Amino acid sequence: MDTEEKEDIKLNWQWEISPAKSWFKMGLIDLYAYRGLILRFVRRDLIASYQQTIIGPIWIFLQPLFTTLIYLIVFGNFAKVSTDDTPKILFYMSGTIIWTFFFDNISGTMYTFITNAHIFNKVYFPRLVVPVSNIITQSVRLSIQLVLFIIIFLYYYIFFDKFQLSISLFLIPFLILLTATFALGSGLLIAVFTARYRDIDTFFQYILRLGMFITPVVFPSTIVPQKYQFLFWLNPLTPIIETFRSVFFHQNAIQYNYLLIATAEAIFLLILGLILFKRREVEVMDII
Amino acid sequence: MDNVILKAENISKYYKLGVIGTRSFKEDLQGFWKKAFRISGNEKINPNNTNNSSNELWALKDISFEIMQGDVVGFVGKNGAGKSTLLKILSRITLPTTGTIKGMGRIASLLEVGTGFHAELTGRENIFLNGQILGMHKKEILLKFDEIVAFSGIERFLDTPVKRYSSGMYVRLAFAIAAHLDPEILIIDEVLAVGDSDFQKKCLGKMKQVSAEEGKTVLFVSHNSQALKNLCNKAIHLEKGRLIDIGSTQDIITNYLKNEQDQPLKKVYNDPDEAPGNSNIRIKKLEVIPKYVDNSKIIDIRTPLTIQFEFWYLPSENIDLGVSMSLNTVMGDCIFDVDSIAQPFQKGLVKGQCTIPGNLLNNGSYTISLIFIRNTSSAIFELEECLSFDVEDFRENTAWYGDWPGAIRPKFKVLLEQENL
Repeated sequence: MDTEEKEDIKLNWQWEISPAKSWFKMGLIDLYAYRGLILRFVRRDLIASYQQTIIGPIWIFLQPLFTTLIYLIVFGNFAKVSTDDTPKILFYMSGTIIWTFFFDNISGTMYTFITNAHIFNKVYFPRLVVPVSNIITQSVRLSIQLVLFIIIFLYYYIFFDKFQLSISLFLIPFLILLTATFALGSGLLIAVFTARYRDIDTFFQYILRLGMFITPVVFPSTIVPQKYQFLFWLNPLTPIIETFRSVFFHQNAIQYNYLLIATAEAIFLLILGLILFKRREVEVMDII
Repeated sequence: MDNVILKAENISKYYKLGVIGTRSFKEDLQGFWKKAFRISGNEKINPNNTNNSSNELWALKDISFEIMQGDVVGFVGKNGAGKSTLLKILSRITLPTTGTIKGMGRIASLLEVGTGFHAELTGRENIFLNGQILGMHKKEILLKFDEIVAFSGIERFLDTPVKRYSSGMYVRLAFAIAAHLDPEILIIDEVLAVGDSDFQKKCLGKMKQVSAEEGKTVLFVSHNSQALKNLCNKAIHLEKGRLIDIGSTQDIITNYLKNEQDQPLKKVYNDPDEAPGNSNIRIKKLEVIPKYVDNSKIIDIRTPLTIQFEFWYLPSENIDLGVSMSLNTVMGDCIFDVDSIAQPFQKGLVKGQCTIPGNLLNNGSYTISLIFIRNTSSAIFELEECLSFDVEDFRENTAWYGDWPGAIRPKFKVLLEQENL
């Protein structure tokens, strides 16, 4: 075979498997090709989680409602934590649904390899499909919960003439996207490391549980002492939840500078997470 | 079709053994430190300079091969030869340590049936779920949906969660989906080991159809040499991570089985004092002499076997000596027990033999035991499992590759006759 022919054949290969890895691949194009599978996983998770229940998907409403009620009783009535003059139910609910959205996203992502090892060991598809489908599943839940939130909000708006609606409502989709970005980015990073050392998973579970108390979920950020304010606002979830509340309740002005920092942090984490995840996604299977 | 569809070059796979924990963390840190500050040069992992440390394993070493479009390739080798690792690399589940594989077209792998099945979901939902996990598009599944359901035979249970399925139904549904995959290259690992015999037959038929009629390329690992022989046109023999041979299935399988059957068929003891026995009997020689059919050098179900034994006879009194020989399966079931006529012998060497005709034993592993008997009543020496051999399967003109039932497999004629009306 002469060289020309050889070259010709070489050009025809459609794929290649080799140990070489690139530092700059995030696998986003692959992901688009697998959009069907992503949606299938979303469907699976939504259907499966309410199988053999009596009220089925109504749980999506009830979960944040119960949590809100418990916070309302414990923090609102027993501990009498300030809610910045916002109706308590709306205050706790806004914190709860965003925190739950973040928590479910990050914990779904960080266990990607461990909970899907049996599938990853038998079939190839871009591993990123799993965390991304989880994010979409959680977004569906969040949207339903937001509807509930808005119904309660409208009740106060109409009957108590409490709030005014403003153009800043357009920030809400951005806030959701930002939360998802932050959760996915940090979740991917943790996933890569937990696969090798399980301590990291235990450690982060602990951090996550504490996380709720360095995030204004059950209290407003105004009660944090002045000298800790800067650190407190560096947590991307602080500007996210505070902006969310400002958009609806207008108690405090939106802190755009911190929102910008949060965006930078989330994007940085996401890019780092995507790169490391892509680089390690196959190797991880040898050690899990 | 003479196009190379897949080409593997110098594939090696390295595994680090041992537990991951505090110690490996320390090693990781050391490695990181070295890398960061380039303390020692590039210590590249290389299959050729292994220092045979007990801590590492080369599951594959320097494997290269080419596969043509339309080939059905069987991978043979003992457990641990690297077959599964190779399939995993080809399926992109794990990366090779060195080497590259290049290929064309969609590749789908079936290392297991029913991957990703969700117990809570119905059969219908799982067809879509599993199909998409295996790489099918939703449209494709919709198009083939009725066919899949018909193939699986679970129409009535389509809207029942699969956790309520019997294991047979579960596997049938799973295979039905897999059988309707339509990739250019299909990788299959031992899936024939599942399901009842009827279903196995259906699956093998489907595989044959896929490769012969649709010109698909199939890579196939199985321990069922009959299935390999009948389905594959090419085979690759792996041993201890190395590629031993590649070529026509018939040759490769024959060589592989010969290798497998390399257990000694002959035992000779020259020194009576060291030979097995007692004060009455000392064994000199034990041998299985096969009369190979068509020069294959493989003992298969057609092969007549002569069992020969020689012993030093050292009687302390005058007795009638008889020898009984039994053939047992490795599971310990006795297939038959035959004995000689009891008669007096002089002190000295005694020879015995017994021929097991061809077409009597079923395929399997067998052992021979001998009992030396005094006056047809009591044993003076028992020699258990003194010889062992494997009998391979052999079939012609059949599309059925499942296990042939029965303790023995004689070739009695079954006659059919057309009765006139």
